[in-house]
Amino acid sequence: MMHCTLDDLLALRAGEASVWARRHVEDCAICRAELDGVYQRVAQLKALPALRPPRDRWSIVWDAVRVEQTRRRRTWSVWSLAAAAALAGVLLVPRFGGSGTLHAELSRAKDQSATLEDQLQNYDVDGRVLSGRTAARVAELEDEIAVIDGDLARQAAVKAQAQDAELVKLWQQRVDLMRQLVNVRSTRARYVGL
Amino acid sequence: MTVALAVPDVLVARAQAGDEAALEALYRAFETPVYNLARRMLRNAEDAEDVLQETFLEVVKSIRDYRGEGYLWGWIRRIAATKALMRIRRDQLRATEPLGEEHGKPGMHVGANLDLERAFEHLTDTSRAVVWLHDVEGYTHEEIGELMGKSVSFSKSQLARAHARLRGLLGEGEGARA
Repeated sequence: MMHCTLDDLLALRAGEASVWARRHVEDCAICRAELDGVYQRVAQLKALPALRPPRDRWSIVWDAVRVEQTRRRRTWSVWSLAAAAALAGVLLVPRFGGSGTLHAELSRAKDQSATLEDQLQNYDVDGRVLSGRTAARVAELEDEIAVIDGDLARQAAVKAQAQDAELVKLWQQRVDLMRQLVNVRSTRARYVGL
Repeated sequence: MTVALAVPDVLVARAQAGDEAALEALYRAFETPVYNLARRMLRNAEDAEDVLQETFLEVVKSIRDYRGEGYLWGWIRRIAATKALMRIRRDQLRATEPLGEEHGKPGMHVGANLDLERAFEHLTDTSRAVVWLHDVEGYTHEEIGELMGKSVSFSKSQLARAHARLRGLLGEGEGARA
């Protein structure tokens, strides 16, 4: 006697079985038992206890969200910064004229900042799992950089009051923070084997 | 595991506005069902934890896109299932095993009389994912095929093969039909 296959039985369960399978299972005790077995397995699977996460991951999730939000803000502020940098160049070149010391320092800080930005791109590990502490440190540094970028943008906006030495100081602070950020990122990248 | 979680609309609205406490409340409400889904689909507990983390990162980033169509759990579950399936696919690519290749766990033989939970663990990753999504979470074969980037018949055949293997591992059936 020909019996239902498992495909037939699963189709019966889904209400999609052929007329033959539907009729056969009514008459065949063996296939009815098989079908009951399918129903029981599914019911037992549904009744398995819920497995609970062994650790709380919320702080890691939230830190990662904050890092991303800061990065988005920073991307925006980099555009303002580019404008500020261009403007600062225009303002400072004629005023430094003679000694050129501040101008040289400013150029150096801007070059270093650009180099560090490039390096950072190599460690731009969006979405990669960071430890809570690393993610928090990254968020902190990025927040501080965003604050400096805001200051630089404001300095450029008030051209007349722009203090040359202040601009250099801000750029140097930015370089210092960028360097720390690169260090955090590169340490993490080495840790995950990039 | 049946999940019947009703989340107040006001909580969702606060989460959509970026309220940290509301987002954390959503995490607390769904962390266990998300982890359970991932853990049942994946062999490794750490992978399931990573899926939990990635899922909620996505939930927090995209909660504004949730328009309230269907249950929030359905929306979150789909994110989690997609992340778990991506992980299965990645592992299979690394192991150069094509999606759907049915080897089972080595050393197991048919008729081993395991309990269901252990027998389920012995299915391949793909089979486990299909069985869990279809039989427990209630996904249709069309939805599973779409999630896996495979056909409806692929999902159906995976389910049938998985049930045949479960039956064998549990020491049921076949004998009476011989």
